Amino acid sequence: MNGALAKPANSLTKSIKVAVFYAALAVAALIWFTPVITLIITALKDAGDFAINGAFSLPKSIRWENFSEAWETGVKNYFWNSVIVTSVKVPVGIVLVSMAAFALTHMHFKWADRVFTYILIGLIVPIQMTLVPLTLLMNALNLIDTLPGLIILYIGFGVPFGVMVMRGFFRTIPTAIIEAARIDGCSWFRIFYRIALPLALPAVVSLCILDGVATWNEFILAQIFLRSDENRTLPLGLVQFYTQFSTQYNQLAAAVLIAVVPIVLVFLFFQRYFVAGMGGAVK
Amino acid sequence: MATLSKLASLSRSDQKVLPASRSVKARDDRLRFLPWLFLAPALVIYSVVVVYPMVYSGYLSLFRWDGISPTKVFVGFENYITLFTKNDVFWIALKNNAVWLVIALFLPTSMGLGFALLLNSRFRGSHIFRSVFYFPAVLSLAVVGLIWTWIYHPDLGLLNQMLRAVGLKALTRNWLSDPQIALYPVIIAATWNAVGLPMLLYLAGLQTIPQELHEAAKVEGAGPIQRFVYVTFPLLRETTLIVLAITAINALKAYDIVYAMTNGGPANRTQLLSTWMYFLTYNYNQTGLGTAIAVILFSLTMIFAVPYIRFMTRKT
Repeated sequence: MNGALAKPANSLTKSIKVAVFYAALAVAALIWFTPVITLIITALKDAGDFAINGAFSLPKSIRWENFSEAWETGVKNYFWNSVIVTSVKVPVGIVLVSMAAFALTHMHFKWADRVFTYILIGLIVPIQMTLVPLTLLMNALNLIDTLPGLIILYIGFGVPFGVMVMRGFFRTIPTAIIEAARIDGCSWFRIFYRIALPLALPAVVSLCILDGVATWNEFILAQIFLRSDENRTLPLGLVQFYTQFSTQYNQLAAAVLIAVVPIVLVFLFFQRYFVAGMGGAVK
Repeated sequence: MATLSKLASLSRSDQKVLPASRSVKARDDRLRFLPWLFLAPALVIYSVVVVYPMVYSGYLSLFRWDGISPTKVFVGFENYITLFTKNDVFWIALKNNAVWLVIALFLPTSMGLGFALLLNSRFRGSHIFRSVFYFPAVLSLAVVGLIWTWIYHPDLGLLNQMLRAVGLKALTRNWLSDPQIALYPVIIAATWNAVGLPMLLYLAGLQTIPQELHEAAKVEGAGPIQRFVYVTFPLLRETTLIVLAITAINALKAYDIVYAMTNGGPANRTQLLSTWMYFLTYNYNQTGLGTAIAVILFSLTMIFAVPYIRFMTRKT
């Protein structure tokens, strides 16, 4: 009797607790997302609406032209530059770091620990520490203000993080598998691309995504080594766009959204790989 | 029976392994250079692009040089002395870096832990909330800077509009142009971006804590706060160390967001060592001073990085 009475009361307080929990989370999430919501609303407004009502109101009428205008005023160019840089840098980088990480984990390499420590230095070095000599080097090689030059720099700076992630994953591949293939007379190169790399596919996908996002977002190297407007990548181009058209907030917001959309798509579709990749970085 | 024969065949193949592995070893000895071959492409490009410039910067910081002329004058530690004794902006930047670092060690880390604790248990919609709270972390800092610059806009920005709407007009100000406070709005914007990573790392850390420990503590009569203090947090010690190290290293790397939001202004009040290095080197042609700042920034980073690297290369 007593238990039967207590039960509904309990479940009532429980569902109230759940409701409060959800409400609190929803409010927190809304506040957290306010900058993004503001950005979207601004991108849909016409200039007059924004000038009168600011960001903090729904658009009177939706103006899609902001996007096409921003695209034509230069974002198109920045966008394709970013696409080129990212789509060359990421695959090339992955091949290089996977080979290196494989050598550090499964090839009975005496120097593995020392080489890994040497590579990790690059993870913490402030980029400012390299800028002046890199400027001299890029000048000497005639690579200033070229996308290939920037890609080479990105590949070099991507080595530490990539090796760390891939090494973390390769370590989880049992040595027995590699040894068995050795005994069957498989060459190291074959073992690498027929056994180790396919087994490491989840890590490769994680790294592709983390690396792709990082490359898409990179600012300082692009700022130092790209000089002409036609070569600018997105983050740099957007800041430039801002200093040039600082009053056309609606177009600016549209430009920012165009830059962010690919990231959002990658994030939505491959979300779990962000977690997996960072897990590898800690292991 | 089947398993027995399998075992037998396994042990037979084991016997074969011994002589075979010896010959593999002999072959490996002949191919000792092979790991280097696998490492070469990555190592060469990394050494040329990262390590060599790093060392050369250290060397350049001992010269007075404008970055262009063919002659460099060796001056020993003069650049460092100049920075510490004659360069006021250097001190502003150093102080700003310190403020940024201290805030970064507390704010995004504890917020990341808080979100992780809230979202660790699987309830309906938990992954949506995880995405929402993680999302700012995937945006470029230049973009984050631009978005928040509009939020801080004196007339049209969301912040001042909200303050006016709730009758706090007295609190409105030109956030990014007020020399007294301009650094803090920038740090807040950076925090919005910096919470995601600690959250992710803490979520991963929380997954490793066995549920039985919580159950046991519950049975012993421990409330949620006690369980956090005596069970969860001690078991997150390793995660916390990693989070603090990475956050500190990232905080010292801050550059793009300041460049996008204030460009070091007003009156150099938001300069960081990283941005001031850029100004000295590329705007004022003081390459010697610029590289000296880079070396100082590097040394500061090493304080947090050495324990981190030790941890990453630990024997397991």
